[in-house]
Amino acid sequence: MTTTTTRLYCLVVDDSLVVRKVARRILNSLKFNVDEAENGQVALDLCGTLMPDLILLDWNMPVMSGIEFVRAFREKYGAVSAKVIFCTTQGDVEHIRDAAAAGANDYIIKPFDAAMLRRKIEAVLGIAA
Amino acid sequence: MYVANPTAIKALADVVVSSMQRFRIPLTPENYSLWYEYHIGNNRELQRTMDVIISNSADFDETVLHDLYVTFLSSAKEAEIVRETSVNVQDALRNLISVALRVGVDADEFGAALTELAAMEHTKSTDGLRDLVGHLIGESRKMAEKSQVAGARMRESASKIETLERRLESALVEARTDSLTGLANRRFFDSRLRALAGDAMNSGDELSLLMIDVDRFKRVNDTWGHRVGDELLRHLASTLQRTVRREDLVARYGGEEFAVILPQADAAAAIAVGENIRRALASVPVPLDVTPVMPPATVSIGVSCYQPGDPLSEWVGKADAALYRAKQEGRDQVRYIQ
Repeated sequence: MTTTTTRLYCLVVDDSLVVRKVARRILNSLKFNVDEAENGQVALDLCGTLMPDLILLDWNMPVMSGIEFVRAFREKYGAVSAKVIFCTTQGDVEHIRDAAAAGANDYIIKPFDAAMLRRKIEAVLGIAA
Repeated sequence: MYVANPTAIKALADVVVSSMQRFRIPLTPENYSLWYEYHIGNNRELQRTMDVIISNSADFDETVLHDLYVTFLSSAKEAEIVRETSVNVQDALRNLISVALRVGVDADEFGAALTELAAMEHTKSTDGLRDLVGHLIGESRKMAEKSQVAGARMRESASKIETLERRLESALVEARTDSLTGLANRRFFDSRLRALAGDAMNSGDELSLLMIDVDRFKRVNDTWGHRVGDELLRHLASTLQRTVRREDLVARYGGEEFAVILPQADAAAAIAVGENIRRALASVPVPLDVTPVMPPATVSIGVSCYQPGDPLSEWVGKADAALYRAKQEGRDQVRYIQ
C-alpha cells in the first residue's frame, strides 16, 4: 500500500522497552511511522534499509552507545537529511556538547512527555507535527 | 564578574533584554536569569551549551529554556557552595604544597596533589568535589608521614581540609533540608521527582507518590497556637520517616502538606505505606508538654503512580486530586487515583 508515503518515518533507538513504547505511542499520535532498535548497531543496520526522517536516540546502550551511533551514522551516511534528537537524563549536561559536536541536532531530557517531544520534533524538522 | 554600580547594571540589563528580543525569548524571570548568566559569563558550562544551541540555530523553545534553567540555574545554590568550597580547598592545598616545598619534600611526592589542584579548576559537580577532597586528605596524610620535619604542619593542613570537607557536607545538606522539620525541602523534592521519573522511564520500574495533608491544621493553629502547630508538623515528620521504607523520599511539600516518593512501589504497595502512616499518626496523642493532652492528629493521603510519557505535573496533580477526595470523603483516609 502507498497510502502512508507522506508519513514521516522515525527510528526510536533505546534499550529501554518502556521508552520505546512511550515514544512509539507519542509518535504514532503525531502520524509518524515508527521502527525500534535496542542499540546503535541494530539502528545503523536499519538505516541501511530505509533512511529515517528522524532518529530518537538514547545515550547509554549496550553494544553501541548513542554517541558511537551518531559518529558512525554521520560517517557512513554523511549529511543526509535525517535529524537526530538524543535523549539524556538530567545531570548529563556535558553529553549535550559532545552529541552536538558528533552531529546530533537536538536533545531531550528524560522523563519526557508527549508535549515536550512534539515541540522538539517540530523545532528539529521545522514542521508542525 | 560582579556588577555593582547602577549605570553598569542598567547597561547590562539593556544588553540582556535586547539579546532576548533578538532570539524572541519571552521575558520571564527564569529566562531573564538565564540570559543574564549567559551575558555575565560566570557560568561557563551554560554559556557553552547556549552557544552550541545558537550555532546550530536550534530553537530556544519553552522546553529548551526550562531544561537550561533546571540544569544550570535551579541548582545554583549548590553550585555556589561547591565553588566556594573548592576555592577554600585550593587555598589549603596551596599552603600544603608551599610547606612541602619549603621543607624540601621531593617534588614527585606531591605531583599527584598538583594534578588534583589542576583538576579542581574544572570540577563543578558535588560528587566530583567530594571525591577530590577525600583524595586530598589521603594525599596530605601521606605527605605528612613522609616528612618528619613538616609533620606537624602537614597534619594541620590535612585537618583544615577535613574541616572543609565537613563544612561542605553540612552546607549541602542544609541546602536540601526544610529547616522546621529536617525533611527534604521542596526544591530537593522537585529535583528527585524528575530524576526518579527518568530512572523509572528507563527501567520500567513502578514509581508512586503520596501527597499528605494534616487534617484541620488551621484549627490546631487557632486553638493551640503556632508553636504547637510547628510541634505537630515535626511530630508528623518523624512519624513519616519512621513509617516509610528506607528507599522512600519524604519531603515537606509546603505548609502542612508533605510528600513521599516511593521507588519500585506499585499502587498497592504505596497505598499500604499510606495506610501505615495514617494509622501510626492516628493511634498516638501528639507528644506535647501541654495540658490537656492534645488528641491524635489525623492526615488525609492521596496516592498516584507515575505513567512514563505523562507530564510530571499530571502525576502530581492526580495525587493532589486523590488527596482532595480523601478530604471530601471525611478525612483520615487514603485515596488512590489511577
